[in-house]
Amino acid sequence: MKNRTLTFSIFRYNPATPEIKPHMQSYQLDETTGMTVFVALNRIREEQDPSLMFDFVCRAAICGSCAMLINGKPRLACKTLTRDYGSKITLMPLPVFKLIGDLSVDTGTWFRHLSIKTRAWIHTNKEFDPKALEERMDNATALEIYEPERCIECGCCIAGCATANIREDFLGAAGLNRVARFMVDPRDHRTEQEYFEVVGSDEGVFGCYGLMACDDNCPTQLPLQWQLAFVRRKMAVAGLKR
Amino acid sequence: MLDTGISPQRSIGRNPRMDLYLDLAQLISGFLLVGFLWTHMVFVATIIIGVNTFNSLAQFLDDYYLSYVGIPFIGLVALIHVIVVCRRIPNRYQDYWRHARTIMHFDTWTWIFQVVTALGIAFLAGIHVFLVIMGWPIEADTSAARMHAFWWFYLVLLILGEYHAGFGIYRQFVKWGWIKRKTIGFALKSITVIIVALGLAALWVFVQLGGALR
Repeated sequence: MKNRTLTFSIFRYNPATPEIKPHMQSYQLDETTGMTVFVALNRIREEQDPSLMFDFVCRAAICGSCAMLINGKPRLACKTLTRDYGSKITLMPLPVFKLIGDLSVDTGTWFRHLSIKTRAWIHTNKEFDPKALEERMDNATALEIYEPERCIECGCCIAGCATANIREDFLGAAGLNRVARFMVDPRDHRTEQEYFEVVGSDEGVFGCYGLMACDDNCPTQLPLQWQLAFVRRKMAVAGLKR
Repeated sequence: MLDTGISPQRSIGRNPRMDLYLDLAQLISGFLLVGFLWTHMVFVATIIIGVNTFNSLAQFLDDYYLSYVGIPFIGLVALIHVIVVCRRIPNRYQDYWRHARTIMHFDTWTWIFQVVTALGIAFLAGIHVFLVIMGWPIEADTSAARMHAFWWFYLVLLILGEYHAGFGIYRQFVKWGWIKRKTIGFALKSITVIIVALGLAALWVFVQLGGALR
């Protein structure tokens, strides 16, 4: 295979220097075997422009830091091979989230807000007994909980979601997937009605248009359509009961 | 008491179940309209079998007052559907447009055309119902004359209607159901192709008849 020269068109803006308006900047780079966008960005920063800002930690699609719009689609830079693309690749920061600079966005604040809003922890009236044996859970339930727990909070589903792009208060697939996880957890003692108060509105599950950009763009292939439909059915039943 | 994050301020002055009711109204009215549309197209397609079959079906619906109940009922359902779905249109449509152009995602595009086709249907179907009622009762020769003169009008309405119905019902299955998107998509595409083919065939027969009657 002949080595290609790739052109990266990258969004540049640093809030610390607001006099320089947001713009696209081009960088050229020789493609190497098995190159990912993450590798390319590191080489650009090392060899061409040390001021380029982007996030990464694990480079193995586990930490969810390097999510960005690659040719418009939300992707993890570390999981995206340049050979799957043409010689011109456009990189933009994820929308919805607060921009830190260039390709770096603050997903942490958004997800923390989500955790607080959905009260994403086990709610129980049981007194904790440190000496007692842990209660057993059947395998099927455990799997149902651990599947949505695979979410790495990269923000791709939020960036791809039309509703989340239009209305700020929408919980999005990541939020509803999180709630779904607690709904099946037998240790959580919240009632259907209490869940309904949190997600039974247009801010929650009924705000979903069903466009499934979340499902199509999830880097960990979470069954988001299944999760959203599950929450929707559950909340419809809860809402109609009373 | 468990702290569940429910804000007490929001509990007064607003029905907390309103978003659910609106969503269900959209679902149910949509399903009724799709059911109506498909039945309607099958009824219209009886012209392919023969003029007499078409006329006797129209006569039957008229004799048993099914038309007189059905038309106002479907009109009411359509009105509810319009009122309820309007809430889905973004306040700033540019936001949606920009988003769609950025992520280039198929289902996100189809939704834009869902709005466009909705506007088209509201306008064209209104004219269609008006013309049919003005020319009451429904008979093959008056229908044929209409189709012959305005075949392009009916061609556009057929395509808009089927697009809107097909993708609308697809999205409802995706949102509520447990059927794989590919499976339901294939099933609905197949039904849509059959209905469009029936519609086109009926339109063709009508245009031929209309020509013969002149």
